Amino acid sequence: MNDCRKDNLSHFAVTVISKDRPGIVADITEVLYRLGCNLEDSSCTMLGGDFAIILIVSHEKPFTRTRLADEFRANFDRTGLHVHVRTLHDNEVCPVKEEGELCLVSVYGSDQPGIVYRVTRELADRTVNITDLNTRLIGTKETPAYVLMLEAVLPQGMTVEDVELLLEKLKKELNVEIQVRVITPVSL
Amino acid sequence: MPVQNILLYPHPVLKKLCHPVAAIDGEVRGLLQDLTDTMHAGPCSVGVAAPQIGVTLRVCVVDVSKSRNGKDNNHGLLQMVNPVIIARSGAAIMREGCMSVPDYTGDVERSTAITVRFTDGDGIEREFEASGFEAVAIQHEMDHLDGMLFLDRIASLKTGLFRRKNYK
Repeated sequence: MNDCRKDNLSHFAVTVISKDRPGIVADITEVLYRLGCNLEDSSCTMLGGDFAIILIVSHEKPFTRTRLADEFRANFDRTGLHVHVRTLHDNEVCPVKEEGELCLVSVYGSDQPGIVYRVTRELADRTVNITDLNTRLIGTKETPAYVLMLEAVLPQGMTVEDVELLLEKLKKELNVEIQVRVITPVSL
Repeated sequence: MPVQNILLYPHPVLKKLCHPVAAIDGEVRGLLQDLTDTMHAGPCSVGVAAPQIGVTLRVCVVDVSKSRNGKDNNHGLLQMVNPVIIARSGAAIMREGCMSVPDYTGDVERSTAITVRFTDGDGIEREFEASGFEAVAIQHEMDHLDGMLFLDRIASLKTGLFRRKNYK
């Protein structure tokens, strides 16, 4: 039984990446509001000098991807704001239930190729599920440093110590700092 | 005493300022028992405040003794009437969730040690220092008495630290 699925709704993933300026979110959501769409979920953030918008949007059936894409095109084509719309299938709509320990992994050190790949591959091979990740290049041009922060759900039975041990080899090989902390929410 | 339903936001009672209790009587003792039963019925619940069951009185219960984070540092079951925090120190961030705000969590900064004064179910004034998870739980439940939810205290969006170019 799929509790969160509403049969009367169509779902779409809407993504926008545009040079940052005040008002992008208001412009995009005004179009959605006028069409009668709901924002089911969203993540919007600065990426470099751009602003990135990822939305899960729903609308009562019948409603098509084309209708939504056309509306964005009519409103924004002149302004150079490019909106991408994809239809979500019913089995994509519901979030996966998180069950194990939630941990935060911080990785930082001199910039070098492969930090994200090497860390996430180790985690993926043990079915550690990343729920959030961001990276940043910091420091100076001469001595660039790299920071990776990620949150991940551990599979049942895996502990933070297991993750530390798992990443220990990588820490030496890449000569980076790696810390793992439990951030499982407390229920009050 | 019956286990009560936990009210969910946006129920308006959750944003109300609660009234002090004038005297400990049978009604207040019944409320303390209801809150305790409701807390023990909830999975992983370590505290319930009166407005969460629809009563706008300054009454809450906390018990972290069975929780992973609080089992080694606690005062057992605390049934608190008119609680006040008279001293606080330290600060730490913990990711909190609340039975009245399901499906959402946020990083909240709380004092790491507090001195709390309250009247217990026998009408006796008590005062003690709580620290660690017990201190967090007491602060969270006491916030409910002022119509405050953890949503009012979320310290930052996770990524905020890394976005800012200028610091004040």
